[in-house]
Parts: sequence; structure tokens; C-alpha cells
Amino acid sequence: MQKAYTGRDGRLLIDGSEQIKVTSWTLTGNLEALETTSLGDTQRTYVPGVQEFSGSATLLYYSEASGRNDAATALKNILKVGSVSDADTVTITLRFVQGNAANDVSLNAWITSVSYGANVGEVSSAQISFQATGALTAVTI
Amino acid sequence: MAFPTLKPTGREFNAGDFPIKRFNAQSGAEVRILYGNRRTNATLSLSYDNITDANAQLFAADYDAQLGTFRTFTLPSDVRAGWTGSAATIDAPPTARWRYDSAPVIQAVRPGRSSVTVSLVAVI
Repeated sequence: MQKAYTGRDGRLLIDGSEQIKVTSWTLTGNLEALETTSLGDTQRTYVPGVQEFSGSATLLYYSEASGRNDAATALKNILKVGSVSDADTVTITLRFVQGNAANDVSLNAWITSVSYGANVGEVSSAQISFQATGALTAVTI
Repeated sequence: MAFPTLKPTGREFNAGDFPIKRFNAQSGAEVRILYGNRRTNATLSLSYDNITDANAQLFAADYDAQLGTFRTFTLPSDVRAGWTGSAATIDAPPTARWRYDSAPVIQAVRPGRSSVTVSLVAVI
């Protein structure tokens, strides 16, 4: 079936929990290219180096009636009393849904940057950036 | 064991000099005495970037086989890859041969890949 994916199909899960009020997410994958061009060669040659994955997301700073505030939970990965420990990695899943099918990319990551603020006439939101550690744990896109 | 037959990714050649002694008078005048007619101390620095660890290992093995900086040897033509001038121009001077000036430096880049730098000096 033909389908153009849009923001309506996007989901963001952190530690298995689908986040509420997500307005955007991005994921970037990079592959380091190691040059192996030798003297006398006339075209550059490369071998694959190390892969890297990073991304960002924006969540509305929104509190449900139950008190659940996913933006605040994400912010508290860095905005915390005390230091970040090894236990603070999160499992992030970036998902496109198509009916009941989920097209996922999952990874373990550190939240490396958070920011949020308040502006007159605007809904407050939180921006988080994450840096994957290790290989992707699932790719079903 | 012979020097690895790999094409370098970088090469720097220094032609060396003839054995000359210079004397400078207080007036500033310079006197030079030539002690030999054979050029010596040419140097060659080779770099091999992002090669396989197996190839990097060849340099360590050859350094061992040459007893470090002790023995002298000739170089394969691959070392001069990309050079379109006379091979003799960037080789050891006539009657001279190469020896290691220092141990090959093997730098790990990623699993399975390393970069190697080799420094050679020509001796009579």
C-alpha cells in the first residue's frame, strides 16, 4: 500500500514508554570513512570506519491529569542533583506506525543536552539531544 | 623477511648531504672542507594510513628481522609509487642502503585498521 509518512505516524519511546506530546524527533547516522588512497592512485579510496548515531526530540512541557510529564522526566536525565551515572542510559525507539505495524529504530543512548523555557504567548517545550552508545538494537524500518 | 611491498599514502624524502665541515672565522668568512665524495644521511619517511592490522604487522616483523636499526636493506619499488621521475632520485644514494632510523610507529585507528609511520636513513 502506498503511504507517505507524516508527523501523524511518528512516535517516540523512551525506555519502552511512548512519550506524550512529542512535536518532533530526528535521528542522524554517520559512518566515518577512513581514506586508503595510496601514492600513485588517481581516485580516492576508503574503508568503513566507526558508525555513530545521534538525534534530538522536542516534547511539549505538558502535565497529564495523572501528573505524568514526559518532558520533565527527560529533562531530569541531566537536570538532577548529583552526577550522571552509568545507569542513566535510556533506550530510545524512534517509530513510524502503519496500522498496527511499527517501523522502529531502537538504540541505547545518553541524553547529552536538554533545554526548555517559557515565552509569553507560546506553549513551553523541552528539547533533548541524545547520543547513541553502541550498536543499534533494532531496525525494522 | 623483506620490507613490506605496500604503496605508502605519504612519503617525504630528504636527499642528505656530502660530508662537509664548515669553519667560520670571526670576520664571517666561511671555509668548507669536503671529507668525502659520497652523499649520505638521506632520510625517507613513509606513512601508511588505515591499512589492515595484518599489513601493519609486517612492518613490526621486518623491524625485528632487520635487528632493529642494525641491518641495512634495499626498498621495493612500491615505496616509490606515484613518483614519475628517476627511481634513483628518491632512493638511497649510490653505494648506500637504508636502515631503520627508529622503530615503526603503529597507531590503532579502529578494530582491524592501523596507521604506520616508518623512518629510514641511508647509510654507506
